[in-house]
Amino acid sequence: MSTNDHHHDGHGGNGHGHSNERMVSVRVLRQENPHSGSHWESFEVPYEHGMNITTVLLRIAANPVTTDHHETTPIAYDSCCLEEVCGACTMVINDRVRQGCSALVENLLKDSPEGITLQPMTKFPVVRDLLVNRKPMFESLKKIKAWVHVDGYYDLGGGPRISQKEQEKAYPLSCCMTCGCCVEACPQFNDHSAFIGPAAISQAVLFNAHPTAKVDRDDRLAVLSGAGGITDCGNSQNCVKVCPKGIPLTDSIAQTGRDTTIYKFRQWFGR
Amino acid sequence: MSEPGIESKPSAPPADYHFLVKRLHSLSGLVPIGAFLVIHLLTNARILAPGLVPGEEFQKGVDQIHGLGPMLLPVEIVFIFLPLLFHSLVGFQIMRTGKNNPRYYHYNSNIRYSLQRWTGVIAFFFIMYHVWQMHWFGEPIGGGKFDPEHAALSAAKAIQSVWWIAPIYAIGVVASVFHLTNGIWTSLITWGVTIKPRSQRAAGYVCATFGVIVALIGLGALNGFKRFGADTVIPKSSHTMAGESDRNVG
Ligand code: HEM
Ligand code: SF4
Ligand code: SF4
Ligand code: FES
Repeated sequence: MSTNDHHHDGHGGNGHGHSNERMVSVRVLRQENPHSGSHWESFEVPYEHGMNITTVLLRIAANPVTTDHHETTPIAYDSCCLEEVCGACTMVINDRVRQGCSALVENLLKDSPEGITLQPMTKFPVVRDLLVNRKPMFESLKKIKAWVHVDGYYDLGGGPRISQKEQEKAYPLSCCMTCGCCVEACPQFNDHSAFIGPAAISQAVLFNAHPTAKVDRDDRLAVLSGAGGITDCGNSQNCVKVCPKGIPLTDSIAQTGRDTTIYKFRQWFGR
Repeated sequence: MSEPGIESKPSAPPADYHFLVKRLHSLSGLVPIGAFLVIHLLTNARILAPGLVPGEEFQKGVDQIHGLGPMLLPVEIVFIFLPLLFHSLVGFQIMRTGKNNPRYYHYNSNIRYSLQRWTGVIAFFFIMYHVWQMHWFGEPIGGGKFDPEHAALSAAKAIQSVWWIAPIYAIGVVASVFHLTNGIWTSLITWGVTIKPRSQRAAGYVCATFGVIVALIGLGALNGFKRFGADTVIPKSSHTMAGESDRNVG
């Protein structure tokens, strides 16, 4: 990256054109398909005021030429909402998992002036480049029945009222976008553990507190107290620190520790 | 809401003993192993107590324990050795399911997560060596055998035998105490006692204070054995040291 002054914002203040343009070096871990190996490619992208990682990837797609002048393919990645709500663009940026759309280049360069590295998340199968398959997370959600079970086609009428206090507890948990940050940072979530991960545990807490979804509470607790459930958490508390939605995951984890203990004792000693 | 009679039944409990094993792992770390560690270090610290004869207080503590007579070995096996073996085996198994990553996510809690694993391994090898040396084989690799009849002197001789014994013991003690202290903190989450960040933080302060005190007790005891005999003249006619009085240490 060339050192230009921070006034440069695309308005061409000194009119010297490209030679004076501030460039950002970006290293990307690329992988052609789910079965191929991976390799690094470097790019230089002209800096734009307010640019985020999605912008960087768009600029590379428009001109997919590496730093050493090799023609290459545009980088595959996922994105949708562009406002940190859908979780699709989650990737490992400068060794830390986060969303690309809310990662501002300006802030990234403050911590790492040498440049930016982009990698796919390591806990999921790579489809191509930065695009991963987050299926393991959705499988976990299925295991703990992360839904409100409504049987039949007829009109059930209005649901039970939920108090303001309950709502305030449930709302933060409901913000989860299954982005994968928490499981990426979790030391206990990996290929040699069956752990369902913090997001699913927190969703189980959310649905167990819901007056209608409660009917499946014991099913959820059975899964949570089984192999791959709550006992696989090692209390490193990374999950709560990396969650972009600030979801109180460790509260959910401790709550589940308490609930499963009571549930199991009830099972062992009969109600 | 569900209709009467067709509400969902809890699925059959998983056929494995996963939950039980993990909860027993947690429990065994607290009692008996954790409780034993604290009592053990407290007994050792009695070497620092001033008595008529050096090491007299410590000898009294050892005599109390050995008062169990022939029951001592079974008690040691059932309440210390087997729980420790169980905790260690499950502990190594738990370690295999994790991938430490404090390099990328250097939060305090994540560093403690890694340290919990490393100190477990250190404690394991240290305890193996410690028991092997003091209980059975004595000197071959430094140290010496503990003799309950001459508690203070034999322990001091073991600690003073070679220069590296005291540092190894210091590392072993600090690692074990850290492991216990951090383990108490995580066990409060495991069992769902501390749920909110505020209560977890408060528990953190209590555990840290407890840990520092226990570590100081342990290191103080170690220092007591290291210096034993260095600045005291052991009286020749000491009854506790009978037969050993001519063999001074240091
Ligand atoms: C000095 C003797 C030891 C004491 C007092 C002790 C105590 C404890 C305690 C209280 C816990 C907390 C359990 C929980 O979070 O619920 C724990 C966890 C743990 N211990 Fe030990 N332990 C000892 C030796 C060992 C040894 C020899 C190993 C072998 C590697 C080991 C491995 C572990 C592991 C891996 C954990 C983490 C468990 C988890 O995250 O679920 N410990 N220990
Ligand atoms: S809990 Fe947070 S980090 Fe985890 S998937 Fe949901 S939003 Fe992402
Ligand atoms: S607290 Fe538990 S779930 Fe959260 S990151 Fe640590 S091990 Fe994973
Ligand atoms: S595109 Fe939706 S979170 Fe980034």
